[in-house]
Amino acid sequence: MSGTTTPSFRPIGGRVRRAIFSGVAESLGERGTLTAGTVLATLVVSFCLLGPIFCRASPYAIHVGDAYYPPSSQFFLGTDQIGRDELARLIAGGYTTLAVSIPAAILAFIVGTVFGFSAGLGPIWLDKVLMRVLDAVLALPALILLIFFASLLTPSSFQLILLLGLTSWPGLARLVRNEAIAQRGRDFVHASRQCGGGTFHIAWTHLLPVIAPVLVFNGTFLVGDQILALSALSFLGLGIQPPEASWGGLLQAGLNLVVVDPWWMIVPAGVMIFLSIAATNLIGQGILTRSEEAV
Amino acid sequence: MNDGSVLRLNNVSVALRRGRGDMVPLLDQICLTVNQGEMTALVGESGSGKTLTSSAIIRLLPRNARVSGQIWLGNTDLLRLPHGEMRKIRGRDIGMVFQNPLAALNPSVRVGAQIREAYRLHTGESDHAAWVRACELFDEVGIANAKKRLGDYPHQFSGGMRQRAMIAMALACSPKLLIADEPTSGLDAILTRQILSLLTRLRHEFRMGVLFITHDLSIVQKYADQVHVLYAGRSVEWGSSEAFFNAPRHPYSRALLGALPGPGQIRLTAISGALPDPEAMPLGCRFAPRCAYHKAECDWCYPKIDNKGTTSVACGRVEDIVSVHPPKGMPSPQYFRSANDGAVILKIEGLGVDYRLPARGILTALTGGKNSIRVLDDIDLTLRYGECLGIVGESGSGKSTLGRAILQMVPYDGSVIVDGIAFGRMTRSRRKMMRRRIQVVFQDPRESLNPRMRIGDIVAEPLRLAGEREYREQVRRLLDRVGLHARILDKFPHAISGGQAQRVAIARALAAKPAVIVLDEPTSSLDVSTQAALLNLLKDLGHQDGLSYILISHDVAAISYIADTIAVLRSGRLIEVGATAALLAVPGAEYTRQLLAASFLYGKKGTVQLAVAPNSGSMGIPS
Repeated sequence: MSGTTTPSFRPIGGRVRRAIFSGVAESLGERGTLTAGTVLATLVVSFCLLGPIFCRASPYAIHVGDAYYPPSSQFFLGTDQIGRDELARLIAGGYTTLAVSIPAAILAFIVGTVFGFSAGLGPIWLDKVLMRVLDAVLALPALILLIFFASLLTPSSFQLILLLGLTSWPGLARLVRNEAIAQRGRDFVHASRQCGGGTFHIAWTHLLPVIAPVLVFNGTFLVGDQILALSALSFLGLGIQPPEASWGGLLQAGLNLVVVDPWWMIVPAGVMIFLSIAATNLIGQGILTRSEEAV
Repeated sequence: MNDGSVLRLNNVSVALRRGRGDMVPLLDQICLTVNQGEMTALVGESGSGKTLTSSAIIRLLPRNARVSGQIWLGNTDLLRLPHGEMRKIRGRDIGMVFQNPLAALNPSVRVGAQIREAYRLHTGESDHAAWVRACELFDEVGIANAKKRLGDYPHQFSGGMRQRAMIAMALACSPKLLIADEPTSGLDAILTRQILSLLTRLRHEFRMGVLFITHDLSIVQKYADQVHVLYAGRSVEWGSSEAFFNAPRHPYSRALLGALPGPGQIRLTAISGALPDPEAMPLGCRFAPRCAYHKAECDWCYPKIDNKGTTSVACGRVEDIVSVHPPKGMPSPQYFRSANDGAVILKIEGLGVDYRLPARGILTALTGGKNSIRVLDDIDLTLRYGECLGIVGESGSGKSTLGRAILQMVPYDGSVIVDGIAFGRMTRSRRKMMRRRIQVVFQDPRESLNPRMRIGDIVAEPLRLAGEREYREQVRRLLDRVGLHARILDKFPHAISGGQAQRVAIARALAAKPAVIVLDEPTSSLDVSTQAALLNLLKDLGHQDGLSYILISHDVAAISYIADTIAVLRSGRLIEVGATAALLAVPGAEYTRQLLAASFLYGKKGTVQLAVAPNSGSMGIPS
């Protein structure tokens, strides 16, 4: 195979984290990775969606008398400083976190893909303009940008989706553009042009399926990235606003109370963030190896 | 062993361990001899085990391989040597020349230094002595201005020069044996001939044995003393080159020779089927499933080795075969020409293409420095309905660029006129319509099919783009026309063979109902037997359906088999255009003469006799 035939599977950003997960993927094997990821993702999502059925406590009900209870049979994960049930807050926090980060990832995915294809397949001047726009966006670290906007307006969930989604697409866009340029010179694309295929046709029927593995791989990582970014924002107090619960917010609440050292307020939220990111990464890695196998 | 043999393989078998599974036998009891000062050609299609044999000789097999048998180099059995001893033998007693010299030479080290290293490693001579030796070697292999060229990097050498440098390196320690693994397959006909003549001269001069590994039977006849044909890891026929080419005895050898294209041939013999899967080899003769003389006993009997004839053959039925008339391919179809005959379908006038060099800075631009190269200049060609126009030329002659210009893939000046309408200023949709009239088949069949699309969808694409709804039946018909079964519809390109993939590409081209199909080296990535079948198909399609082709190739033999007219291209200019038979019989230009002389190395009986004897004429090609 010549150099242009295999798409370059270079994940965007967060290299160390990715390296760790591809190591895990290797030891799990091709099929194991995808299965493990799917099982983990199902567990996390059903915890957030179905949790309220089993845990009847309200995440918002304040019982000042019950403050700082460690885990017990009454409160499985203990209570916080104003006596709210931690398990209920973990479930509710998970729901809000996923409800914001998944749509944000989808938004970033669409924007990045469309932007990348327009730059890679459009006329040269369009490519030049779009790439300079992209450079400008990339020049500012996404988190700083997020903090800036989030501090200007105390954001609602919808605004958070827009904020996260519109700051995290450039990596994917550049990847898609480079892949499009690498693939558009291949013989089957020429053959398609020769029988009348237009730019949109080529992008849709030829390039999209060929670079789909890279797209899916990086798309799943995007979900993980959004969970992390949202948690970071909430941790800083700029994301999801109290009394609404979120995993980042729970972490922050726990860490602020170092004197009491309530580990039950910190560890569960951290574990949930970790598990959800592990799930997305494993799924991405699994899909990638599987599609490499297929061709 | 003092029988004049340099190398003697005795029952060498190689098996590879796949994963944790069983051993997969790849080479089965190969016996082969290379004599001093002689050339033995090891011939086989891809997957027959040629390269594995050479790796076994120099003991550079993959780690999961197991070898048995004996490999005698002079009086030492290489398979019994410790690693350290073996390392000394590589390069000193056995020289290697590889297919791709650019990959075998280190791009960041000067060529001279690499040759000196090869020499000093084994002799321990001083650097100066090594330099003197390198100069000698460069003179020996015919690189002019040796002292200067030794200081160049590999990328500064042309393809043929690199191969010469590789040979110089292999000769550094005057080895007893030279293994040349497909040394000419990346080169065009003229260079191939030069390299082969060089190898012949050198082996006489140094009394060295040469093991020449190739898939191309046509270049073997004139240069090899012995021929050894491999099929699926087994020797099928071996003996002196003369006897072999006079009267090949094994059905496979006969089919291979019948598959070589040449001018004036009615029909090539195509071998049906494909090489057997190494993990499911036939029990008896490995060629049995594809053999025209196949009998029930061939399926389970190990083929009997017959040493009685002019060559040795591993075939149980060889006596029956020789008496039988050579197998006929499919009967030639009755060709007819339609009423449209003779109408001009494509006309190229004054076509030229400039290749723009990357900008070289302001100063050059201001001083009016040239920043483009004219790769094609003043091309005039005419293609008539139902005709095949062959374009030949060595690599770099601009023949592919010409194809791309006709396909409107590169900007050009001059005009390309299809059906009487010239490409030019026109609306986008009209241009699309015009482009559809010219279809293309590329060299690499896998590259030209989208790996993520099913065959059915690939063939249907032109139909769908034309807005047709009911295309399934048409796709079936198209596949049938190119000789493919409808079973293939739901497969992905990686699941079919190279020959099948190329047929799919032709079916896709046909689906657009083109006026002209441009075929850019359509058979050069295929094996001889597959190539023959494809050339037959193209010939049939052209004659039966009145398709017009432009066939671009460096392979004069293949072109002369189907082209009605041949155009010879050199350095971007047309040297000569003429009807195939006339051009082959009486080439007008000196260059054409050289090209033809270099191309028909295999003189087949009953073909058009060439005006030039293949061996005559000096090869005074300026490099």
